[in-house]
Amino acid sequence: MRLPRFLAKKRGNRRTGSQAWGSFAEGIFYAILLAAGVVFGLLLVTGAANYAPADPDSVVLQRGYEWWMWLLTLLIPLALLAFGGSGLARVVRMWGKSLEHRAAAGGSAILDSLSSPESDTPHHPGLPSCENIENSPGTVLRYRLALESPENWSLVGFGMFAILWNAVVVVLAVGAGADLLGGTTDWFLIAMLIPFVSVGVGGVVLLVRAVILATSVGPTQIEISDHPLVPGATYDVLLGQGGASVFRSIDMVMEMEESATFRQGTDTRTQRLVVRRQPMAGWRRVQPVPGGRFEARVAVTIPRDSMHSFASESNAVQWRIVVRAIPDRWPEFTRVFPVVVCPSPAATVYPLAEPGEPG
Amino acid sequence: MMRLSDQGIPSEDPRPRGNNRPAPFPRIELRFGHSGRDYQPMEWLTVEYSIGGLEGERLRALERSILWYTEGKGEEDMGIHFFERFTTPAAVAGQVPDGTLAVQLPTSPLSYEGVIVKIRWCVRLRVFFESGRDHVSEHVFTVGRVPPSIPPP
Repeated sequence: MRLPRFLAKKRGNRRTGSQAWGSFAEGIFYAILLAAGVVFGLLLVTGAANYAPADPDSVVLQRGYEWWMWLLTLLIPLALLAFGGSGLARVVRMWGKSLEHRAAAGGSAILDSLSSPESDTPHHPGLPSCENIENSPGTVLRYRLALESPENWSLVGFGMFAILWNAVVVVLAVGAGADLLGGTTDWFLIAMLIPFVSVGVGGVVLLVRAVILATSVGPTQIEISDHPLVPGATYDVLLGQGGASVFRSIDMVMEMEESATFRQGTDTRTQRLVVRRQPMAGWRRVQPVPGGRFEARVAVTIPRDSMHSFASESNAVQWRIVVRAIPDRWPEFTRVFPVVVCPSPAATVYPLAEPGEPG
Repeated sequence: MMRLSDQGIPSEDPRPRGNNRPAPFPRIELRFGHSGRDYQPMEWLTVEYSIGGLEGERLRALERSILWYTEGKGEEDMGIHFFERFTTPAAVAGQVPDGTLAVQLPTSPLSYEGVIVKIRWCVRLRVFFESGRDHVSEHVFTVGRVPPSIPPP
């Protein structure tokens, strides 16, 4: 067995150091967590950790904890026990097993890939689920695609920031106000409040702006004649764009995007890259019907040699219909509608060949 | 039959044994039962392999697997399509030094040469020695015919 290295590289399931030493170190880590949970839990339960905070020399004979206080106090030891115990059990279960053995023991759905070929929904290992895409019927075409808009996440982010920041501001302001009412003036607290209030007001302004942008241009809807998509096939796509304002341009494209999630130090990052962009249609100077919406029906063909959609834990290939529009009086917006592209049906299915025979 | 060179990777360093003789470095040769390494989804993959260079050292187990894994910028993901482990001496003796394997491939994922995501299929043979060492040999093949991706300008 190779001696352990102090510094070793690890990427996914591969590591430059010894697999056995890596598992051993992992086991030690979980064992320490488990032991810490046991020790802290016992100390708390037996009362050995109790002391009088005001007078450490005094022994506290009677614990005044309510049941919920006990629950709260034991939360950390219980979490340590659960995390350490489950981790240690996993290390013991996987000890001495190869990467392939571990992956197979992990209950890979791939092993079942050939078990239900007659299913109505074609089952393709490694493809993302179509469930969220096919659960909404369209008004004209068969399916209405679900929206995955980056603007919505910006809205959530601005909202969370504005709420949390202004909660802190309110707490500080109440403290400063109470001081003023009590006849004392804490100038440091008041000076600190000024930049905090400024940032809080800025956060609210950004949130209001984001809400106006998200609601003023009207909803975008995409309907499609069939799903999942297959390379070489052609589909009808219906675009519906609501809103009262004039659009300088609306463009619809089909994109294929790769995404890779990786760890950099303690951060987990995801890189996305569009590797295929296929224009579907474009319109200039669009004026939606008053009280209605702009509608256009186009056909799209998935190229025959396309890669299918793919999703694993850290890597993905995603197909999506992207609508980019520039309203006359508002900033440009992008709305994304994911779709799933299946592998094209196998052109040739070879018969069962005896082992060793040329296929 | 197409003969491919062994891409053997020792999982543990071969260390000198008592008589200063280095531990054996197995030589695993694998022959795909196809005129090339290009397969189609649902096609039967047949391989023959031979394991040499054991120099009399006994094997504790043998694992044969067919799997895909990702390469590129992201963390490596792996999906096992076929896995077989032989542990009893009689079972190992039946598969070593020569053995065959026939497995029907799934419909997906197809082999893919993307820019930051790549998907590779391979046959892996892993031998475990009585001494505790193990040695893995990986033989890559392709499923489907998807051209490499090039990022648009």
